[in-house]
Parts: sequence; C-alpha cells; structure tokens
Amino acid sequence: MKTDDLIRTLAADTLRPVALRTILFAGLVPSLAVAALAVWLVLGFRADLATAMTTPVSVLRIVLTGTLGLAATRIALLLARPECSGTVRLWPLAAVAAAALGLLLWAYVTTPAEARQMATFGKTIVICLVSIPLLSILPVASLHVVLRRGATTAPARAGFVAGLAGSGFAAAIYALYCTEDSPLFYVTWYGLAIMAVALVSALIGARTLRW
Amino acid sequence: MTGQTDEWGQLLVAANAGDARAYARFLQAITPTLRGIVRAKGGSLGAAASEDVVQEVLLAVHLKRHTWTPDAPVRPWLYAITRYKVVDAFRARGRKIDLPIEDFADVLAADAGPDPTEAADMEKMIGMLDGRSAEIVRKIGLEGVSVAETGLALTMSEGAVRVALHRALKTLAVLRERHVK
Repeated sequence: MKTDDLIRTLAADTLRPVALRTILFAGLVPSLAVAALAVWLVLGFRADLATAMTTPVSVLRIVLTGTLGLAATRIALLLARPECSGTVRLWPLAAVAAAALGLLLWAYVTTPAEARQMATFGKTIVICLVSIPLLSILPVASLHVVLRRGATTAPARAGFVAGLAGSGFAAAIYALYCTEDSPLFYVTWYGLAIMAVALVSALIGARTLRW
Repeated sequence: MTGQTDEWGQLLVAANAGDARAYARFLQAITPTLRGIVRAKGGSLGAAASEDVVQEVLLAVHLKRHTWTPDAPVRPWLYAITRYKVVDAFRARGRKIDLPIEDFADVLAADAGPDPTEAADMEKMIGMLDGRSAEIVRKIGLEGVSVAETGLALTMSEGAVRVALHRALKTLAVLRERHVK
C-alpha cells in the first residue's frame, strides 16, 4: 500500500474518538460510587462519623488521601498525552507525601511513649491492608482504560500515578469506616497499602499501556 | 478561535472540527517530515521498510489524534508520537534488521527499484482483516472510492461503513504490533 493511499484511508475515517476527560468521568465516578457503596454495605460507616468529620486529625486522613487522588488523577491525565512525559511535574505528589510524613512525625512526638505502639498497630491492620487494595481495583482500572485510550510515552510511570490516584480515592472512602484516628496508624498502613497498589499498577502499566 | 499560528496546527484544528480535506492535507504535510526522521534514524532499513515505519507512525498519529489539545503546539505532540513509534518499530525489527546491499554500492545509483512510497507491511495486515473490513479499506484506500459509494457497493449504510472503517484501522494497529514482534 502506498502512503498516499493510506492517508486517503485515514482521512476517510471521520469518527471522532471520545475525549479522554469524558472517559475519565464516565469510569471514575461510578467506580468511586461502587467503592463507597461497598464500604457502606459490607463494613458500615463508623458510628461517630459526624463527630469524626469535625475532628481535624481524623478529617486529615480524608483530606490527604483525597488530595493525593485528585492530584494523581490530574497528572495521569497529563501523562496520557505523548508529549507530556518529559515535562509533567510530580511535585504535588511529593508534597502530599511530605505532609503525611510531617503529620507522622508530629504524632510520634505528641503521643506518649507508652501509647505509641498501641496507636501504631491499632486493631484493624489486616482489614485495612485488604480493603484499600480491593477498593482500589475499580478506580485504578478505570484510569488504566483512560491511559490505554491515550498515548502515554511513559507506561510504567503512568501506571504508577494511576495506582496512586485510584488507591488514594479508595483510602479516602475506606476512612469513612475506619476508626483508627492516629496518624501513627493511618500514615503507616494507608501509606503501605497505597504504595503497594501503585507498584502493582506500575508493573501492569509497563506491559499494558504500550501502543 | 485558537492561538494556532503554525500551519499544521490550523489544519489539525480544522480537521478536528470535521474537515476531512484539511485532515488529508495535514497528513500529507507531515509525511515528508516523518519520512525524513525515519530515514535519518534508520539508514540501515531499506526504502520499503522505512516506508513501513512511516505508515506505522501515520496510523498512530491518526488513532491518537484525540490526545492533542488545541491549546498545545502540534510539533512536540507529533514528534513525541513519532519518536515513540520509531523507537518501537526499530526495537521490534532489531532481530531482523535488514542491511540492503544497495547501501554498499554507489548511493547515486539508488534511483531504480520500486516507488519508495510503496510499503509491504500494511498490505499484509489488510489481508489479515476479516473479508468485509479488508474490502472497505481496499475500496477507500486503493481504489479511491468514497464512503457513500462503498456503502452502496456493499449494501451497507454510510454510517455502518464509517464504523467498520474506524474499527478496521484500530485492528490494523493491533495486528501490526503483534505481527512485527
């Protein structure tokens, strides 16, 4: 086939692909709704949710993880564009991580030594480390769909950021159930769950986000 | 309307607004540049194999054209796609890279041989499509038949031909990816 013939064929294909932003909203919003519904039906929201929502140290869990989700989603959308892999700035993600570590340090200093171990290990590590990755599956998958429709030139990095985004949102939703309000607990274990999801997502992305 | 000062940008904006002629002109305008890049990077490939890579890049540009936003310049976007696909194509051909003997002969004698824009891979891929899709691609691409006439010839609605063509092009990209590797 001659290149001119190919060009004629391509020009005849006038169907417009759907914009990435549209695919993102169509996938992510229902995924998060399903995750919230699952927490509500299976685990149940914490009984003192209204009180917790007015307690700064507790609300910060949702603020931090939600900010991570939003910032990472924005970056993932940029990484879906081929020319952006070199110029996209990852510092918002580092800023969220730094804020979380600062909070961890503050909690370590202000928690009495004899209470630290109790605060760090809490009672719900296992359910936390199982629930957050499970709740991440749909949101992360919906971001992978967006990235596959896009044209990322950094597949592993895009997969990693998509993992952070999806698991950040998942952790924010999980926090509606979780009653472990000490940063010693939630920075450590939410953080571990989020990083694990992001790493798996990066490994998957490195294989599936090529085009 | 937009801040596109560059001719390619203006063509692509018009193309995205549904102007098929502007789109064809855009693709024609970028092709010599793409060909130059591919030849400069892969002098060891033959002319036909280089043209295969050029066509691979064009197909990728087409299928990923929605990732360009009118507020961004065209060239960085286009070069990013080109670079990605060229690197990919050469990596895929790495094991069977062909060093044409003509390269050892007098370069000025390189005039003979097939038309340099004739490439073989795409034809093979079209052969792997299902019968109807292949027929649609051949009619529109090789015979230059319009979408409407293709629909009449195959007793399909124009819309159905468009959808089938779009799917066929996506399939061609996937087939290439699999076949070359």
